[in-house]
Amino acid sequence: MHKLFYPFIVKKQTLRWWVLGLFSGFISSQDNCVAQADSSGQAKKSSIVSLSAVTVRAIAPERFLVGQKIQHIDSVTLRQFQFGSLIDLLSLNTPIAIKNYGPGQLATVAFRGTSANHTAVLWNGININQPNLGLTDFSTLPVAGFDQLALQYGSSASVVGSGAVGGSILLGSNADWQRKFSVILGQQFASFHNNQTQAGVRYATALGQNWKLSGKTFAYRNKFNNRYPYTERQRYFLEPSTTAQRGFVQDLYFLHKSGKQFSVNAWLSDNDLIITPLDTIARERTRTQSARLLATYEVNRLTVRLGWIRDLLDYGKGNFDTPSHTETERLISRAEREFTLASTPSRQLNLRVGGEWSHYRTRTDGYGGQLIQEDREDIYALMRFQTARWLLSANIRQAFVTRFNPPITPSFGAEYQFIQRNHFTLTAKGSISRNYRVPTLNERYWIELGDPNLKPESGVNMEIGLAAKATVSDNLALTTELTAYHNRVDNWTYWNPAKAYHVENLQLVVARGLEFNTGLNYTQNRWQTGIRLGYAYTRSSQERVYDNYAQDVVGKQLPYVPIHTGTANAWLQRGKTRLSVQAQANSRRYSTADNSQFLKGNTLVNLLLEHSTKLGPVPVRVQGNLNNLFNALVVGVKQNALPGRNGSINLIVNFSSVN
Amino acid sequence: MNNQLKKSMAIGLVALSVWNCKTSDPEPTPFGDGVYVINQGAFLKNNGSLSYISRTGSTVATNIFVQANPTLAVSGGSGQGGNVQDYTEVNGKGLILVDNGTVGQDKVEVVEAGTFMSRATLKAPDIENPRLVIQAGPNKAYVSCWDVSGDYSAGTFYKDPGYIAVVDLNTGTVSKKIPAVKGVERMVLVGSEVFVGSNAYSGDKTLLVIDANTDTMKEKINFGATPEPIALDANGKLWIRAGKDMVRINPQSRLVEQRLTFASSLGTIAIGADKRAFYYTLGGRTSQFSIEATTATGTQVLNRSFSGALGIDPKTKQLYGSVIPTYDQAGYVIRYQPDGSLIDSVKVEIAPSGFFFR
Repeated sequence: MHKLFYPFIVKKQTLRWWVLGLFSGFISSQDNCVAQADSSGQAKKSSIVSLSAVTVRAIAPERFLVGQKIQHIDSVTLRQFQFGSLIDLLSLNTPIAIKNYGPGQLATVAFRGTSANHTAVLWNGININQPNLGLTDFSTLPVAGFDQLALQYGSSASVVGSGAVGGSILLGSNADWQRKFSVILGQQFASFHNNQTQAGVRYATALGQNWKLSGKTFAYRNKFNNRYPYTERQRYFLEPSTTAQRGFVQDLYFLHKSGKQFSVNAWLSDNDLIITPLDTIARERTRTQSARLLATYEVNRLTVRLGWIRDLLDYGKGNFDTPSHTETERLISRAEREFTLASTPSRQLNLRVGGEWSHYRTRTDGYGGQLIQEDREDIYALMRFQTARWLLSANIRQAFVTRFNPPITPSFGAEYQFIQRNHFTLTAKGSISRNYRVPTLNERYWIELGDPNLKPESGVNMEIGLAAKATVSDNLALTTELTAYHNRVDNWTYWNPAKAYHVENLQLVVARGLEFNTGLNYTQNRWQTGIRLGYAYTRSSQERVYDNYAQDVVGKQLPYVPIHTGTANAWLQRGKTRLSVQAQANSRRYSTADNSQFLKGNTLVNLLLEHSTKLGPVPVRVQGNLNNLFNALVVGVKQNALPGRNGSINLIVNFSSVN
Repeated sequence: MNNQLKKSMAIGLVALSVWNCKTSDPEPTPFGDGVYVINQGAFLKNNGSLSYISRTGSTVATNIFVQANPTLAVSGGSGQGGNVQDYTEVNGKGLILVDNGTVGQDKVEVVEAGTFMSRATLKAPDIENPRLVIQAGPNKAYVSCWDVSGDYSAGTFYKDPGYIAVVDLNTGTVSKKIPAVKGVERMVLVGSEVFVGSNAYSGDKTLLVIDANTDTMKEKINFGATPEPIALDANGKLWIRAGKDMVRINPQSRLVEQRLTFASSLGTIAIGADKRAFYYTLGGRTSQFSIEATTATGTQVLNRSFSGALGIDPKTKQLYGSVIPTYDQAGYVIRYQPDGSLIDSVKVEIAPSGFFFR
């Protein structure tokens, strides 16, 4: 498959011009295209008026990543984790490797044997990774902060841009046009004196003749006091810590009857972590405050976005009054236009071209305190072709970064439905893509250790898969998917300890593996039951000998990436009562690059009992959670024990008036 | 790859159900006559350990505390629970100094010498940031402790003063904390007195003298530069590193007898087997100077230095040097004959930073 890719490297220059040409062509011939798309858009709309204008929205970007695995987390699971952290949800439902420093502390995720900064985190389509670190601390993202969650496996640089090397996590908000008004109130009472409160409203209303409004206003505050009744578990200390989280979400969607829509999304979050709070000399505070604002205007398949993200990071030890401060702002703008080049019942060809411009401003003690600014531009073209059996995509993106020259990143994908019967479909998938990661601001600008002349990491991702759906009977449905991948990332940056931790493009990492998941649902009268199983084999290793001692590291499994991971979710529901068992297991995680030390494999099992009822006119959902049922001892990166068996009671009131 | 993947997947599915049943039952290993390597471990990973190298071969036993006490490392890792700072033995007991990255989690593990069976664990607040340990009496050890450390840039990193924990090995407890100096670190026992200095970065210039009979402060000597007592030589004179200087003092009169000023502060220093010379690393070389030297001109022993520690085995006079390639992989101990010829190189554990010859 490397040979397939070869001509594109040779013809990189040509290709670059092609993209540029395409982009300028888009600008000059815009009027023409708008007219074209209008007619097709109109045709579509007329058939589905009742469903409102949702379907005239542009195709979700991930749908251009044909042949790649995507996992949508269903709303039932999201509701089950309404008081959970994203880390808990991911560890129990996906094979993603998690590196956890302790409750409420830094927790990062890695897809398919890559690292934390190879995971792009998108919120409503824009990358919200903290740009200094190039990653997201998932402990700061409660599930309550978003409405939708999907995981895009494998690299998707052509669609997402820098950093989507191992995979992407897609968080989203959605409009609810159905309900006029609803109130949601939630309260959690948990072990260790932890508690969480949520309150919000959703509303939808007509604004005059032509406009409709849908909105959500939501706030949460979470307090994790972590007052464990024990200080050690089997001689492993628990680390005392407290976390206070606050967040505010505001979504507003203004929809015109012609289909154009203007929306505003805002997510403010504040995460205040204190380690060893009782020791006034040694206590450490990490405060992360983020403001994320996004305005989107969609008309006739033209989408214009303007976003602003500010991340503040304050770290203090002992005395919290004079913390070391990092402040980073991004202004993001993006315009994209989708064209339906062909639309017949048997074939559909879509093209999307777009451009993005972001401006970064950062100031931190670590860079010497001066303001550092840079610009990043991306242009891209995404093409998707669908017939009855085939689904093909070809995408290309070129990024431009101040003082940088990221590679051009094409991707190709194909899906073919071998079997298309009423009760059974079998689809084969395949894709190949180039990916890259622009080094983080820290990697480039950190005084002395950083290197402004670093090269971007670049890689090639290939994957093939088979997906089957079977409806065995009216009551029994089975889905299953098997994927194999190979991802080779070169110029992998490394803070080289042999050179006093100066960062270098030293390593070559090859990740390959298999993912298997299957789900079985059975429904009978008032009974529902189901099981979802996932297994992943991940083999990821550093392959370059760059000095004498790298011999000991070559070919070894990357630290904190278990070779085997498995998840199992089973549930049984009768009427409005549902019992779920959520389990996660992983094999040993090596804690050093030469695999000389490791943390043992472990299994975590949680139980969840839910019941929905009514108190008078008010619908109430009660959840009882029992986490770490078997009291397994799991240690984090710092070799501190994570808490043993614990539980929570959650009360959720969701009162709505349906129009 | 495909076959391998299939096989692995099958194995993986089986492993899903059984991997938690895996247990390892290492046989008890005697850690008698040999050399212990103190592997500090990586910052924040709390994964220090002790390795054991025999004098007669190149075999290494790693993580010997866990080997001797398998039940104490139920969840993998080094099982030591912190960075290992120092080790010494007092009257048949070994003391392992374990420094965790988090306040309140430091320990001194007291083990049975030779078998490494755990006997007692000393914890916070008795032990906080333990640095070094020496024998201070027939059944007594002194552990220098920085105490809780704060923010380096705010000047609260070294608590003033640090303390010396007096460990009574009969009871396996800390019997007393002697207030010492800021950043208290190196200690040398001379008769019934202990000379105490501090970490070069602490800025404290006091040489503290403690009466080891009463465990009380006897004298504070202003030293002009931060004193780091190294060892007592064959003539009973105390050598102290003070910045670029190696200073020889008469421990009875407390008077400076000799001062050797080097180009820069010496790296790791080890006393020779006969206690008539000091070995040190400086400028990429390993050299030695005599205790009778009058000028700071050492004799080169090896044309290299060591990123870890340097030690001279008092029994064999062999030179031990350790290399720390990174803090994310095992380091090496390289052994040389007294004439500088290479014996072997053995892989140990994370960040080998000290030796204990027994």
